[in-house]
Amino acid sequence: MKKNKLALISLMMALILFITACNSSGGGGNTSSGSGGNSSSSSGGSAPAEVVMAYLNFGDATDVQLVEDEINKITREKINVVVDLMPIDIAAWQQQTNLLLAGNEKVDLIVSSAFFNYSTQVSRGQLLELDDLLEQYGQDIKGTMPDAIYNGTRINGKIYGIPSIRDFGADYGMVMRKDLVDKYNIDLSKVKQWSDLTEVFKVIKQNEPGMAPLAPTTQTYQPARAMYMPEIDPLGDSLGVILIDDQDMKVVNLYELDLYREKIRLVREWYEAGYIYTDAATTQETSANLVKAGQAFGYFNNMKPGYAVQEGQLTNHEMVTVALSDVVIQSTGASSFMISIARNSTDPVAAMKFMNLLYSDADVMNLLTNGIEGKHYVKKDNGFIAKPEGVTETGYQFNQWEIGNNFLTYVWEGQDADIWEQTKKFNESGKVSPALGFTFDQGPVKSEVAAVTNVQNQYLVGLESGTLEYEMIDKFIEELKAAGIDRIIEEKQRQLDEWAKANGKK
Amino acid sequence: MAHTWRKVWKTFWRYKALFLMLVPGMVYLFINNYMPMFGLTIAFKDINYAKGIWRSDWIGLKNFEFLFISKDAWRITRNTILYNGVFIVLNTVMAIGVAILLNEVRKKFLARFYQSVLLLPYLISMVIVGYLVLALLNLENGFMNKVILPAFGIDPISWYTKPEYWPYILTIVNLWKNIGYLCIIYLAAIVGIDPEYYEAATIDGATKWQQIRSITVPLLMPTIIILTLLAIGRIFYADFGLFYQVPLNSGPLQPTTDVIDTYVYRALITLGDIGMSSAAGFYQSLVGFVLVLVSNLIVRLKDKDQALF
Amino acid sequence: MRSNDMNQTLVNIFFILASAACIFPFLLLFIASFSSEQSIIANGYSLFPSEFSLEAYKYLWSNFDSIGRSYGITVLITAVGTSAGLFISALLAYPLSRTDMPLKNTLSFIVFFTMLFNGGLVPTYLIYTEVFHIKNTLWALIIPGLLTNGFFILLIRTFFRNSIPKEIIESAYIDGASEFKIFFRIVMPLSLPILATIGLMLGIGYWNDWFNGLIYITDSKLFSLQNLLNRMLQNIQFLQQTNLDGRGQTANLPTNGVRMAMAVIGIVPILLLYPFFQKFFVKGLTIGAVKG
Repeated sequence: MKKNKLALISLMMALILFITACNSSGGGGNTSSGSGGNSSSSSGGSAPAEVVMAYLNFGDATDVQLVEDEINKITREKINVVVDLMPIDIAAWQQQTNLLLAGNEKVDLIVSSAFFNYSTQVSRGQLLELDDLLEQYGQDIKGTMPDAIYNGTRINGKIYGIPSIRDFGADYGMVMRKDLVDKYNIDLSKVKQWSDLTEVFKVIKQNEPGMAPLAPTTQTYQPARAMYMPEIDPLGDSLGVILIDDQDMKVVNLYELDLYREKIRLVREWYEAGYIYTDAATTQETSANLVKAGQAFGYFNNMKPGYAVQEGQLTNHEMVTVALSDVVIQSTGASSFMISIARNSTDPVAAMKFMNLLYSDADVMNLLTNGIEGKHYVKKDNGFIAKPEGVTETGYQFNQWEIGNNFLTYVWEGQDADIWEQTKKFNESGKVSPALGFTFDQGPVKSEVAAVTNVQNQYLVGLESGTLEYEMIDKFIEELKAAGIDRIIEEKQRQLDEWAKANGKK
Repeated sequence: MAHTWRKVWKTFWRYKALFLMLVPGMVYLFINNYMPMFGLTIAFKDINYAKGIWRSDWIGLKNFEFLFISKDAWRITRNTILYNGVFIVLNTVMAIGVAILLNEVRKKFLARFYQSVLLLPYLISMVIVGYLVLALLNLENGFMNKVILPAFGIDPISWYTKPEYWPYILTIVNLWKNIGYLCIIYLAAIVGIDPEYYEAATIDGATKWQQIRSITVPLLMPTIIILTLLAIGRIFYADFGLFYQVPLNSGPLQPTTDVIDTYVYRALITLGDIGMSSAAGFYQSLVGFVLVLVSNLIVRLKDKDQALF
Repeated sequence: MRSNDMNQTLVNIFFILASAACIFPFLLLFIASFSSEQSIIANGYSLFPSEFSLEAYKYLWSNFDSIGRSYGITVLITAVGTSAGLFISALLAYPLSRTDMPLKNTLSFIVFFTMLFNGGLVPTYLIYTEVFHIKNTLWALIIPGLLTNGFFILLIRTFFRNSIPKEIIESAYIDGASEFKIFFRIVMPLSLPILATIGLMLGIGYWNDWFNGLIYITDSKLFSLQNLLNRMLQNIQFLQQTNLDGRGQTANLPTNGVRMAMAVIGIVPILLLYPFFQKFFVKGLTIGAVKG
């Protein structure tokens, strides 16, 4: 009887396998590496090489095909390459890119970022080394940015991603409603440090009932964060940081530092005095929306040239900023947004050629970032551009800071004419962290990172919004240690020292 | 040997129509579920895409570490099991109760109305449910703090920072959301019961309650058993939306709302490690599998036909 | 007779309360979709908002093309997916329910096993895209959801086994009917309650699915309704959570109202169709068949 059963099963299995085999077209669910470059297409043969570029999309992308066609008119002529734009919604980004890079689908250029597991992607072999390609086909890129930034994405000495040209650093401060500042004659020139804001908050609280003087920037970005960030370099994940002025680069536990305690104490005082939005820890609204609805006066954030104007558009009130820190460029300054070439690329040479255009060709960049002239924007006499008359939705939205050399693009009306100059100066004035360019590989301590992240999640928002009692900070530190933060710090210091030696910094 | 093969062939041929019926479903299961099974190996490997999944290195149980080393690890396991245990029992009892009651409603029009309405919560996504709960439990404007508690003279409670209330809150939300859906299954089964049984029982003078106990419930047993067995298989899996979005990812609530799935999710946002997520899934599956085998065995001992397999 | 009336009243009271608990939140949602953004942020959700507005629906209307299209896609995949899935599941469940079927326990195990152990998203994705090439096709929205892990198969099996009397099948055999005939002419009609149930569940599953769309579809022409809505929702959320070069277009995006409106237009069609399914939950269907 047993033999019967076995035989029956095998018969059935065979049948099923047979049917499936007939269906599966062409072999290969195997994921062998496919990084070989097809040189035939890029050597000026008649058919242009095709390059697929995946990037983050947030808005309306209905006209992508039109823009793509225009871009291709230029690229076909100049470098014999056609590009296929693949916008991926931010909501789907991590999932889809993981899957794209796991298999063999055609994707050549892809936006990468320290926030989206850049170092993991490199350690898993998902991105290509770019040094040689840059030398041969990307010569225009190096000159567009400071050397420190150009080299700021190296892992183990090799470049895997090229930063986009944008604001690399930030200064931290508060942005608030100008009309109220004027109404109560608040003298912002007297506000030099964070604690000076207490007086300002008092005034608002007394005179504007129902309006919280200070709102959280987002649920996970609470006021305290803007206050301690400029004094450290979070080295990616804030689990083990260095003081930004520390040339010796000693990695310490941020949450044990006095400067951290100070900020938490201040924030707690503010919360107890009613200066911070009561639902700060659970609100699902962003600061801009709260200000827009009259629920809040202002909020903290990392800023850049033109920030007040930008926020003004979101809040529908004129906004004014006060900076309470220096401009700092931290270790992820360069790697926060980059473009890389994926392992799956079938034609890395063509991809690099296109990348080169993104950094040198104003026409291509303007098409990519702003759309088609006349349709998505119109040029005004004063050199600015604006949306065409009476149009609110243009069918094309792009996010400049992601890709390429933004200094080549037109300026939107409402911003200062020399906004790019200002940004350049802003970047150059920044205090550069000695660890710029260091990327931490969490692999060796990933179990501890998992445990510590969970603890962080439990306490961080509450502490940094002032909703939890100040004493909880001790419990927090205790649990962090129990979860293994010291091991992470050790590992980070080890990697940092190695990196520093390799780069001649120690 | 030939003799066995001939017997096999004869059996097969006799039931050939039935076997044929199996084919579409089995092919589908094979493609959709069995072919990707090689992915289970990812839990034990250190994936490097340049080498490909097949050729990546084996690293034993390292990917599983994060599930066990921290003190949170035991807490999340405890939470997951406790919640699911309560859910299984409570939801089953309530779903059967509601199904029976629905069956008792005389005006069919009303019964159908109630049924549709009860299904409503199931159709609302957990993200929205999170907002609705916020509307209820908001510190400033929430319905509880503004209307209900003052009516009893109690001070407003900061719900989102007090973990002790949440086991109750989440259980109620889970019940509310799923009851309409679950009772449909039981209702379908109840409808299939021959009314002659009930008629005979009434003639014999049995009360409604007695009828429910001796007719309805026993006849529902097969359905109850199978739903419970299936639920036990998923005992280590939690409804992510319920435990992550309804508490609005509020930190202080973690001691009582953190379950395996939320822990893994948080870890993976920072680490993006496919090996770890695969290991977590494997762990959850394995435990559920063992538990089901055991339960199925128990059921088998009592009534062979009702077991899963 | 009086106690019966009392029972009825009690039962009805219970259901009225339960219904209220279910309708109230939905009503809140519905009204919130007609409230202005400012009133929601200032006062939270309320049945009596301080300010009404059609912003949310206007915004959705302006996207009529994509929404209309996605409605079409959703209806298509729900119809095709549900009927195909139901059919295949029933076909698979029937042999398993027959006590005389050889290997039934092994096969049931094979089915059940899939519910517990899953290779994971990446391998499944690789198989579907690289071996079968269904990425960015309608098949990607239909096939991965077809059998939903065997849960339904086992439920149907249980129903077949316990609610279809063996005598019927035996008498049909004696009359010389083939297996297929028995299945289609006798078993299926008797199983309307369970088929309707599973059909409903499959249908809801397909209707609400956004995950398959998220990973398999990048061509916006193939977005299903929930897929589109979720993307819109999460994109809006992200836009709010990061500071971008605001271009003015982003300034007036209704958010809370839009979220509610989207939930409403996602739910309403199901509510309208549900009464049709209920017709099958009728007593007497099985009995008539047995007697006759």
